[in-house]
Amino acid sequence: MNVFLEMGGYAAYVWPSYGLTLGIIILNVVWARRLLARSRAEARRRLATRGEPR
Amino acid sequence: MTWTWFHRLGSPPHAYALAARLTPWFAWTAAALIVAGLYGGLVLAPPDYQQGDDFRIIYVHAPSAWMSLMVYTTMAVSAAVGLIWRMKVAHAVAASCAAIGASFTFAALVTGSLWGERMWGTYWVWDPRLTFELILLFQYMGYMGLRSAFDDVQRADRASAVLAVVGVVNVPIIHYSVIWWNSLHQAPSVMQLGRPTMPAAMLIPLLMMFLGFTLLFLALLLVRMRAEILDRERTATWIREAVTS
Amino acid sequence: MVARDIRLAFRKRGQLVQPLAFFAIVTTLFPLGISPELSRLRDVAPGVLWVSALLASVLALELLFRDDAQDGTLEQQALSGQSLTWLLFAKTVAHWLLTGLPLSLMAPLAALSLGAPIVSLGGIVISVALGSVALSLIGSIAAALTLGVKRSGALLSLLTLPLSMPVLIFGARATELAMTGAAFGPPLYLLGALAVLGVTLAPLAAAAAVRINLE
Repeated sequence: MNVFLEMGGYAAYVWPSYGLTLGIIILNVVWARRLLARSRAEARRRLATRGEPR
Repeated sequence: MTWTWFHRLGSPPHAYALAARLTPWFAWTAAALIVAGLYGGLVLAPPDYQQGDDFRIIYVHAPSAWMSLMVYTTMAVSAAVGLIWRMKVAHAVAASCAAIGASFTFAALVTGSLWGERMWGTYWVWDPRLTFELILLFQYMGYMGLRSAFDDVQRADRASAVLAVVGVVNVPIIHYSVIWWNSLHQAPSVMQLGRPTMPAAMLIPLLMMFLGFTLLFLALLLVRMRAEILDRERTATWIREAVTS
Repeated sequence: MVARDIRLAFRKRGQLVQPLAFFAIVTTLFPLGISPELSRLRDVAPGVLWVSALLASVLALELLFRDDAQDGTLEQQALSGQSLTWLLFAKTVAHWLLTGLPLSLMAPLAALSLGAPIVSLGGIVISVALGSVALSLIGSIAAALTLGVKRSGALLSLLTLPLSMPVLIFGARATELAMTGAAFGPPLYLLGALAVLGVTLAPLAAAAAVRINLE
C-alpha cells in the first residue's frame, strides 16, 4: 500500500495532479447540476406568476 | 437522407427532451470508464522504464488536454451552426461549452506543469504547445467575458459566436505544434495509426480515460444546455410540463 | 473613405498622440525597472519593444469604430448599401495610418534607447510596420465585437491579446535577428503572411460583428 501511495518517489507530483483533475471533474458536475436546478426553479417561478399559458 | 432530424434537434423542446433522456447514459458510462481507467492506470499498468511512476500523470493530463481542444472545437462548430442557421439550440450548446473547456484547459496546464517539473526540470517552459494552450485558456476567458458584456442574450450569442469561430485557428496550431516545431513536448504517441508505441497495459486505461472524459463532457454539456434552453425559452408552453415532472 | 477618416481624426489630434505617448512611456519604464545598462537592455529590447507596441495598439483600438458607432454614422454607412466589409477595411487602413505607422516610425527611437545598433533600425521599422498592420486588423475584430460595450478597455485587451501573440512572437524574433545583424527574412515573411491573412479575413469577421451589434 505504501509503495502505491509513494508512487516511486513522485507522490508529490502524481497525487496533486489526480486530485486537481478529479476536483475539476466534481466541480463541473456540481456546477452543471446546480445551474439546471436553478433554471428549473426559475422557470417554475415564472410560470407560477404568469398563470396559465395562453 | 432528410434533414428533419437536424431541424428537430434545433427545436428547443425536442433538444431538451433528448438531452434529459441521454444524460444518465453518458454520465454513468463515463463514471464507469473513468473509474476503470483510474484503476488501470494507477494500479495495473507497470511503471515506465524511464519515468517510473511519474508517467501516470498522463492518465489525467492527456485526457484533460484532449478535452480542452475538443470542447473548443465543439464550441466553435455549434457557434457557427448557430450563426448560419440561426439556431437557438446551437447557441445554447456553444454557451454551455465554455466553462467546461476552460476548467479542463486549466487542468491540462497544471498537470502538465507538475509532470514537466520532473521530466524537464522546470515547471514551465515557453515552448509552442504550452504557450498556445495557455493562449487557449485566455480565449475561453475572453469568450466568457464577451458573453457577459451583453445584456441581450441574442447579441451575446452571436457576438461570442464570431469570436469562437475566429479563435478556432488555435486548435490545429496546438495539435500540430509538436510536429511543426522543435518542441520540448512529446510528439504524439497515442494517435499514430498503425502500431502505437505504448504497451497495451498502459494504453488501454488511457483510451478508457479519453472515452470516459468525452462522455463526461457530453453529459455535462447536455445538463448545461438544458439550463440554457430554459433560460432562453422563458415561458414557452412546453416548459410547464418539462419542469414540473 | 480613408481620407475622410483621417481628416476627422486630425480634428482630435490629442487622441492620436495618446497611444504614441503611451508607447514612449512604457518603453521608458523598462530601463527604470530592469537596469539602465545598455548591455542588459539590449538583450530584452526586442521583447520590450514589441510588448509596448502591442499594448499601445490595443489602446489605440478604442479610436477605431467608437466615435462613428456612437454618433450613428456607422449605422448609416452600414445601411447605405455599400459593402460593410470594404468600409471596415478602409477604416482599419486609416486607423493604421494614424496609429500603426507612427508607431513603427517611433520604434527605432525606442530601440536606440534600449541599446539597439543603428544598422538594425531599418529592419525594426519594417517589422513593426508589418506587425502593426496585423495588429490593427486583429484588433478591428475585437473592436467590432465590443462596439456597444461600455468601458470595454479590459475586455478589448482580453480579446485582442491572445490572437495577437503570434504577431508578438514573430515580430520579436525578427527584431532580435535584426539587432544581431543576422538575416531576419523568415520571421518577416511570417509576419507578412499574418498581415495578408488578416487583410483577407479580419474585415469579414469585423463586418459580421458590426452587423450583430447594430441590429
